[in-house]
Amino acid sequence: MSLIHTSRIKSPWILHFDNSSCNGCDIEVLACLTPLYDVERFGMVNMGNPKHADVLLITGPVNYRTARVLRNLYDQVPGPKMVIAVGTCASSGGVFHNCYNVLGGVDKVVPVDVYIPGCAARPEAIIDGVVLALQKLAGANL
Amino acid sequence: MIDGMMAIAILLPVAAGLVTFFVRDYFARNVIVIVTAFSLIANSIMLAAKGPFTYTPSGFDWGILITILDYAILFFYVYLGISLRNWLVVTFAVTQIIPLAYFEFVMKAHVEVAPAFVVDNLAIVMTLIISIIGSLICIYALRYMHDHEHHAHLEKSRQSRFLLWLVLFLGAMNGLVFANNMLWLYFFWEVTTLCCFMLISHDRTEIAIKNAARALWMNATGGTAFILAIIYLYATQGGSQALSMQNIIGGTLQGSVLLLPVALLCYTGCTKAAQMPFQSWLLGAMVAPTPVSALLHSSTMVKAGVYLVLRLAPAYAGTYLSTAITIVGAFSFLGASALAISQTTGKRVLAYSTIANLGLIIACAGINTPLSIAAAILLIIFHAISKGMLFLCAGTIEHQIWSREIEDMEGLAAKAPLTTLITAVGILSMFLPPFGMLLGKWIALEASYTVPLAAVLFVLGSTLTIVFWTKWLGRLLQVLPKVGRPFEKLSLSYSFPLLTLLVGIFVVGIGIAPIYQSFISAATNNVIAGTQVLASGWNILTSGGAESGSFLGYFPVWTLYIVFAIALVLPLFLIGLKPTEMRPVYLCGEQVGGADTDDFSAEADIRTKVTLGGYYFQSAFGEATLNPVVNTVAIILLVSMIACGVILR
Amino acid sequence: MKHVMIIIFTLFVAPIIGGLLFGIDRRITARLQGRYGPPILQPFYDFFKLLGKERIAVSKLQFVWIYAYLLFMVASLLVLTLGSDLLVLVFLLGFAGVSLVLGGFSSKSPYSHFGANRELLQIMAYEPVLLLLAIAVYAQNGSFLISDIIRQPKPLMYTLWPLFIAVIYVLTIKMRKSPFDISTCHHAHQEIVKGVTTEFSGPYLALYQLAEWYEIVLVLGIVALFWTSPLIVGIIIALAAFLLELLIDNVTSRMTAPWMVRLSWTFGLILGIFNIAYIYFTKGVS
Repeated sequence: MSLIHTSRIKSPWILHFDNSSCNGCDIEVLACLTPLYDVERFGMVNMGNPKHADVLLITGPVNYRTARVLRNLYDQVPGPKMVIAVGTCASSGGVFHNCYNVLGGVDKVVPVDVYIPGCAARPEAIIDGVVLALQKLAGANL
Repeated sequence: MIDGMMAIAILLPVAAGLVTFFVRDYFARNVIVIVTAFSLIANSIMLAAKGPFTYTPSGFDWGILITILDYAILFFYVYLGISLRNWLVVTFAVTQIIPLAYFEFVMKAHVEVAPAFVVDNLAIVMTLIISIIGSLICIYALRYMHDHEHHAHLEKSRQSRFLLWLVLFLGAMNGLVFANNMLWLYFFWEVTTLCCFMLISHDRTEIAIKNAARALWMNATGGTAFILAIIYLYATQGGSQALSMQNIIGGTLQGSVLLLPVALLCYTGCTKAAQMPFQSWLLGAMVAPTPVSALLHSSTMVKAGVYLVLRLAPAYAGTYLSTAITIVGAFSFLGASALAISQTTGKRVLAYSTIANLGLIIACAGINTPLSIAAAILLIIFHAISKGMLFLCAGTIEHQIWSREIEDMEGLAAKAPLTTLITAVGILSMFLPPFGMLLGKWIALEASYTVPLAAVLFVLGSTLTIVFWTKWLGRLLQVLPKVGRPFEKLSLSYSFPLLTLLVGIFVVGIGIAPIYQSFISAATNNVIAGTQVLASGWNILTSGGAESGSFLGYFPVWTLYIVFAIALVLPLFLIGLKPTEMRPVYLCGEQVGGADTDDFSAEADIRTKVTLGGYYFQSAFGEATLNPVVNTVAIILLVSMIACGVILR
Repeated sequence: MKHVMIIIFTLFVAPIIGGLLFGIDRRITARLQGRYGPPILQPFYDFFKLLGKERIAVSKLQFVWIYAYLLFMVASLLVLTLGSDLLVLVFLLGFAGVSLVLGGFSSKSPYSHFGANRELLQIMAYEPVLLLLAIAVYAQNGSFLISDIIRQPKPLMYTLWPLFIAVIYVLTIKMRKSPFDISTCHHAHQEIVKGVTTEFSGPYLALYQLAEWYEIVLVLGIVALFWTSPLIVGIIIALAAFLLELLIDNVTSRMTAPWMVRLSWTFGLILGIFNIAYIYFTKGVS
C-alpha cells in the first residue's frame, strides 16, 4: 500500500534508549531536536514509549543489566521497526568493549539496521543514519 | 377481585414472612419465598393492568388493630432504647407516644377516612418497583444469607428471622404507597422503620446494633414530625377529612394553615431518605448484609421518603416551601456526590450515590413543574433498578473475594468476568447516556432553571458523580495481559435476579418512550397537571420552549442505544486477540516474565510486584473535611424549609 | 435528505479539517519556537503509518474503550452538526471522556493509571462549564436545541460573553495545551511517559488520533456557536481562539492537576454563575 508506505517514511517516531553511555551521544541526539537541526520537520518525534515508536535510537554499550531491558523494550515495539545504533559504543562496545560488565555492541542483543559511528556521533550523522534507515525500510518493503 | 389483589399485595408478604420464621428447613423456606415473590410480581402486574381504583377494606375494624400495633411498636422502641442504653431512641419513641396518646384520648379523635387506600398511577408505579425489584432481591437473599452464615461459621442459623423481616417489609411498603388514610400511612411508615432496625442489627455485632439504633432514632424524629403533622391537620382543618392524602393534595383544605404540617411531613420524608444531615444512618446501615442494603437502602424503603415528598408536591406548589425543598434536595445531591469520591468501600460509595440521587428526586419534586415531576418519577424507577442491581453486584463481589474494599476489587475482570460485566453495565447505567438514569438527569437539568441555584448545584453534583463512578469502574477493569477468561459460575439465586435486573435496565431504558406514554405520564398527572415530556416514536421530546409548541430538548433514545451497541458491545464480540499479540505493560523495560507479568526488577534486581492504588482525595473530599461543612449547611437549610412552612406566598 | 448530507459531511470532512488543524498547530508552534516544523499534512502521515503497524495489545478491553471514545466523539459531533440538543451533546462528550479514562485504567500499567486519573481530573475541571453553558443557552433562548441557537438573530456572544471566557479554559484543557496538558500531550513530552495513551499502539493509537481530530472540530464548533449569524464570524472566532490557544501553549508551562481543577472551577463557576444570574435577573424565567 503506497500510502502507508509513504507515511512510514514520512513519520518515524523515535524511542531513544541509553544503555550505559557516557551521555555524549545522548546529548547529540537531544541536539537533533533543537531548532538548529530540527528533526521534527522530517516528522521525527521523540516518543518516550516503545509502544508508540518505530525507530529505536540506542546509545551506549550493552551490559548485562541493560541487555535485559533492551530486549524487553525491543519486544514491545510493534513492527515494522528499525534499530539504529548511535555512536561507536553502541556499534561495537567502543572503548569499553572489554570491560567485565560489557557485552559489546547493541547487535549482541537486538538486530541492528544502521550503525552510526562517532564518539560522539554528530547530529548530522544521526540524521543521515535515520534517513538511511528509512530508505532501508522503503526498500525492504517494496 | 380487588380485595384479593390488595390482600396479596399487603397481607401475603406479612403472612409469608411469619411462616418462614417458623420453618426451619432451608429448601421449604426457599420455596415459600419464591412463591411469594412470584405472586407479588404477578399481582403487581395485574394491578397495573387494572388501572387506578380506590379501596376500603371492610369486615374488620382495621383501624383499632393499627392503633394497637402502633403503640406496640412504639413501646417496643422504648424497651429497645432502655436495653441498649440509647436515650435518643427512648426520647424519640416517647415523643411519638405522647402525641399519639394525646390524639387518641385527650382530643378523642375519631378518624374515619374513606377511601382508606387510593391506588392511582403513581402508586401503581411504586408498587411495580416494590414488588418486582423487592421480590428479586428476596430471591437473591436466599442463597446470599446461606453463604453469609457459612462464611461467618454460625452454628445456629438465623436466616428465618432475616427472611421474616425482609419479606414482611414488602407488605408494609405496598401498604405505604397505597395508603390514603394518614394514620394508616403512619403505621406502615413505622413498620418500615422497625424492619429497618431489625435488618440492620441482624448480624448482632456491636457496630451493627449501634448503627441500627442510630437509624432508629433518626427515623423516629421523622415519625414524631409525622404525628405532630397529623395532630395539627386534625385540629386546624376540621377533623377526619384532613387526614386523607387526597384531600391534602387536592386543594380542598385551607391553604393558609396547610403548609406547616406539609413541611413537617416533608421533613419526615427527608429523614427516611437520609438527606443531609441525616446521611449517617444510611452510611451506618451499610454494615448490614447486602440484600438489606439493596432492598431497604436503595430501591425501596428510602424511596418511601421521596415518595412522600413527591406525593405532597401539589400541596406546596408555588410556595417558598417548594423552593426550600428544592435547595435541600439539591444540596444533598452535591454534598453526597462530593463525599462519595473519598470512600474506599464499595457499599459506602453506593450509599452516598443513593443519597445523592434521592436528593435529586426531592429537588425535582420541589421544582414542581410537569417536566421536573416527570424527571422525579423516571429517576425513581431507573434508580431503583440500577442501584438495586449494583448493590446485588456488590454482594456477589463480596462473596467472591470476601472483601468490600474497592482496592481489593482490582482486576476483578480477570477473576470474575460475569460479575464484573454486570457491575460495569450497572455503573455505566448510573451516569451515562443512553441509560435511563441519565435520561432522568437530563430532564431534571432541563427543568432546573426554574430554580437557578438548583441548576448550579445539579451541574456540580453531576460532575462529581462522573469522578467516583469512573474511578471505581477503572479499578474493576484493571487486568493483566491475558487472552480469554471463562465466565465464572454463579448460583441461580445470584444470577437470576442480577440478569433479570440487567435485562430490565435495557428493556425499560429502550422502551421508555412507550412506557412513559402508557402509564408514567398518568402518574405524573397524579401529581401535577399538564405534560411537558412527549414521546415521539421511541424518542423523548421535551416541550415548553419560549414560543408555544416549540421544543426544549430532544433525547434520541434508540439512536443512542444503537451508538452504545456499536461502540461497546460490537467490538467486545468482534475483536479477537491472539496470544502472540499480547505484550507486557510498559514498566521501563524492567518487567520480569512473559506478557502477563506484573513483576519487575526493582533496586538490586529484587523481583517486585507492581501495586497500583486509586485516588481518594481524602483531604479534599474526605468525611473529616466535608462533614462539618455539609452538616451545618444542611441543618440551616432544613430549618429554613420548616420555617417556610409558616410563610405563605 | 439534508440530514444524510450533513452526516456524510461530518463523518468524512470533519476529520480532514481536524487533521489539518493539528498540522497547522504543529507548524505554527514550530515557527514560534524558531524552527521549521513538519509539513501541514504530517498528522495524516502519522495516521496512516500507525494504521500500518503491527497490532499488539495489553488487553482486549482497551480496544473496546478506544472504539467507544471514537464513536461517542463522532456522535457528539453529529449532535452538533445536526442541530440537536446541546445537553445531550455534553453528556455524549462526557461518555467519550470516560471511555478514554477507562481505556487508560484497563491495564495494570502505572503510567496509564496516572494518566487516566489525571484525565479524570481534567474531565472534572471542564464538565461544569459545559453544563453551565447548556443551561445558560437555555436561559437565553428558551430551548436547548442547537438549531434554535442558529436561528436566533442575535448572537449568543452579546449575553454569554463571560461563559465564552470560561469556554476558552475548556478549549485549553480539551486541546491538551499548556498549562492544562497534564494527562497526555502531543509533541515530545515524556513526563509520565505518554499518560493515558501509554499502552495504546498501532491501529488503535490511529483511532485515538482520529477521535482527537473529531474532538478539535467539535470543540471549535462549540466556540463558533457563540456567533451564528452570520456563521462565518463564529468560525473566524473559533479559529482565532485556536490561534490564541497556540500562543498560550507556547508561553506557559504545565501546571499541577489540583491547580488546574481549582482554577477552572473558580473561574468557570464564577463566570458561569455570574452569567446565569445576569440572564435570570434581566430576563426572568421563560
